[in-house]
Amino acid sequence: MITLDNLGKTFGTAMAVQDVSLSVPEGAFLVLLGPSGCGKTTILRMLAGLEHPTAGVIRFDDKIIADAARGFTLEPGRRDAGLVFQSYALWPHMSVAGNVAWPLRVAGLSRDEQRARVAEALEMLGVAGLAARYPGEISGGQQQRVAIARMIAPRPKVLLFDEPLSNLDATLRVEMRTELLRVHRATKATAVYVTHDQIEAMTMATHVAVLNGGRVEQFDTPERLLSDPASAFVARFIGTPPANLIPVQDGAWFGTLPCPALPGANGHGMVRAEDLMMADAPGPDAVAAQLVEVVPMAGRRLVTGMVQGQRLTAVTDAAHPIPADLHFRLPPTPSAVFDAEGRRLS
Amino acid sequence: MTTRAFRQLHLPKGLGLNLVVLLVLVLLVAAPLLTILMQTLDPDRIGAWRDVLASPLSPNLFWRPAANTMILGFGVAIGCILIGGFLAWLVVMTDMPYRGLIGFLATLPFMIPSFATALAWGTVFRNGRVGGGGGLLEGIGINVPDALAWGMIPTMIVLIAHYYALAFTVIAAALATVNGDLVEAAQMTGASRKRVLFGIVLPVVMPAIIAGGSLCFAAAVSNFAAPALLGLPVRMQTLSTRLFGMIEIGQVERGYVLAILLIVISAVFLAFGNRILSGRRSFATISGKGGRARRFALGGARLPLTAIALLICLLTTIMPIILLIAASLAPMASALFSDWTLHFWIGATDPAFARGQAGVLNNPQLLRALALTMGLGAVVALIANVIGILIAVALTRHRLRGISEAVSQLSFLPMLLPGIAFGAAYIALYGAPIGPLPALYGTSTLLSLALTAAMLPFAVQTGRATVAQISGDIDEAARLTGAGFFRRIGAITLPLASRGLIASLLLCFVNVISDLAIVVLLYTPTTPLLSVLSYRYASDGFHQFANAVTLVILAISTLAAGLAALLRGRNRPWLSS
Repeated sequence: MITLDNLGKTFGTAMAVQDVSLSVPEGAFLVLLGPSGCGKTTILRMLAGLEHPTAGVIRFDDKIIADAARGFTLEPGRRDAGLVFQSYALWPHMSVAGNVAWPLRVAGLSRDEQRARVAEALEMLGVAGLAARYPGEISGGQQQRVAIARMIAPRPKVLLFDEPLSNLDATLRVEMRTELLRVHRATKATAVYVTHDQIEAMTMATHVAVLNGGRVEQFDTPERLLSDPASAFVARFIGTPPANLIPVQDGAWFGTLPCPALPGANGHGMVRAEDLMMADAPGPDAVAAQLVEVVPMAGRRLVTGMVQGQRLTAVTDAAHPIPADLHFRLPPTPSAVFDAEGRRLS
Repeated sequence: MTTRAFRQLHLPKGLGLNLVVLLVLVLLVAAPLLTILMQTLDPDRIGAWRDVLASPLSPNLFWRPAANTMILGFGVAIGCILIGGFLAWLVVMTDMPYRGLIGFLATLPFMIPSFATALAWGTVFRNGRVGGGGGLLEGIGINVPDALAWGMIPTMIVLIAHYYALAFTVIAAALATVNGDLVEAAQMTGASRKRVLFGIVLPVVMPAIIAGGSLCFAAAVSNFAAPALLGLPVRMQTLSTRLFGMIEIGQVERGYVLAILLIVISAVFLAFGNRILSGRRSFATISGKGGRARRFALGGARLPLTAIALLICLLTTIMPIILLIAASLAPMASALFSDWTLHFWIGATDPAFARGQAGVLNNPQLLRALALTMGLGAVVALIANVIGILIAVALTRHRLRGISEAVSQLSFLPMLLPGIAFGAAYIALYGAPIGPLPALYGTSTLLSLALTAAMLPFAVQTGRATVAQISGDIDEAARLTGAGFFRRIGAITLPLASRGLIASLLLCFVNVISDLAIVVLLYTPTTPLLSVLSYRYASDGFHQFANAVTLVILAISTLAAGLAALLRGRNRPWLSS
């Protein structure tokens, strides 16, 4: 179990992380998701012990590993945690086997035990054949696998990943997602995974913390993030395609099409792509759009149009013809309503 | 006739160009080296090998100078690694203030000719032992022991002060690639600080340390100016001064044998360094993205360490220049800052002063040397770069099996050759008439040929960068617009490549005018050069004139190098945080 209580970190005067509190059970796969600069990597580094919190407490199970109030932080090497770096950080002067063995040597394991663990970890990642090679001699995908093998060989209880897939090409990335999940299940450890890619988050996580400006916007399961976004930021960030956030003024879509379900409301109404219909003529609930793009996807079609400078996307049947004079018809009620500051109203 | 047969009638594309550059390289690089080797193997002269290696003369001819050379090489390599590595660590890995300034200053000593540093040393530490006045320290009543005034120790210190910039550059570049991630990954395992340093950081930069050391070693054993100015007065010989002496007194075969041995020693160490640097454990083979640079906090040691770093940089860059300026104005080095006179610069002939020598700017020989040096610098820079571009074109656009390998190897070979040995090889080949061609000895043509060959490795490197501009995507993008070849050259290639080309011309120019080792054997009174004049003045005891001439070289080369640096922009990746 990992628990963060009011965790905070300031660099000089800049607040990188503010008041983050969350808790995940043992064996969970927690994804810290957000745009660059949202503080997700800083949180991960505080979990690793490479950065010291300036506020709050971190616990692994019941054990306090960092407490800003007491100025206490446990050394990185004594947290029983492993970290995979974005750059992989393989030591270039050691062979693949040497890289995986070094942490075991530092931990003082016997030679036989080291050899067995190295073989097991390399086997698990499918890179046993590369044991004698040097990092400079293997591909990026293989380096990634070696970095993961190096992390799991000491059998840590916490697995930390810092955007590990961002340096891989698209095909490898999908393959490594599956691989990572397999490793996570096999080790039964608790994983914390930092990414800015919401698809990675949605496919891998048991828990997701969406971060923005150093704060948690929403901490939830992937399903709940989609079905019940806590803020306009989350609604815009999550989903493929993400939901449409349509401006509402004085209870009317775009300030012009009154919506009976939103009396007097100001802010944004969330309309999912599957709730947005195409129409071929103006109407009380239909708005003119300029066709921007049509993307075929899994037997369906994503139709995107510009409405008053804003992109709206609808999902339609592949067979459904696209009207020459494109209009979008809005649903009677939005799935969610956010106020002007992005807070959820209903 | 099938197309296949038709094609066979044609010679490979670019064959002509390849053959031309190969011929040029054979004439400039291979032929002199082969000649010097063949001449020593000539049945009449092969005895020179025995004289040098196994005869009653050989301890004096070879073994003692070789021992001195090796001591000097290892001492300089170790000193350069310590100082260059220390500064590189401070600049790249710590939170020392003024990192940018120190990183810049630490690359400068290499720009100052080594005879300038050696002269500056003499200005301070010279004692009366070999005649002539003492230096600054004697002047204020401190007795300078011989060991500090002359011989191995001052030579070594001067060469370290000169070459540590090489080690700094190589080690700083390596440290910059040790991103914080590598260290943090080690911290995550629970390894102690010491273990991280010895298990991770040092091994990762070790290839660079060894490569930097071997560069400094090769440079130190090849150096002529410092041992000649500081060692020869007390008969400390290195291979390069011995080789110089042999050829000066007409024992050329023995000189050639020494040249070959010097080439072998220097090349072995350079090759060793290169091998380490490009080995499979090399840091350079890994380039992960990400990784923030984590600076090591110096804490209380911050100010003292900064002061030491600044002191090292100032002592090796600005201090020698200040000393040279003062010494070119003071009649007595022992009273460096009093009785200043411009006589040594602009004075007229006066029998009561400096044995009747006129000031350097009033000396027709010096003015001729100035003109010749500048002209030589310009011509060599131009020719070397033209050849460099042709070679680059041949190597990148028209690769031909067999020929291209030879062209590539030959064009980089001069980098492995000590300048003075190279000069000897040129005398061996072009010193005597070849068939109907007259002997070139004593002509500026010979000087130009030798210097051009020496500048080739550098020129080819720049040429490759230029050609990459011509043949890359950028040019293809222009071709798609329908622009013709010359239009593309004028509108795309030249504007892009011109800064680099001009910078390369300027740097070649600087290298030529501050060279002493290559030209010291090829020079004759009919072809006076500034660097040789300065050396002659110094060895004749006219230190003020030597200093003044050196300052002229320094001024010109500083201007040119500064301009080149401006044109190239900053290229010091290890300074970005």
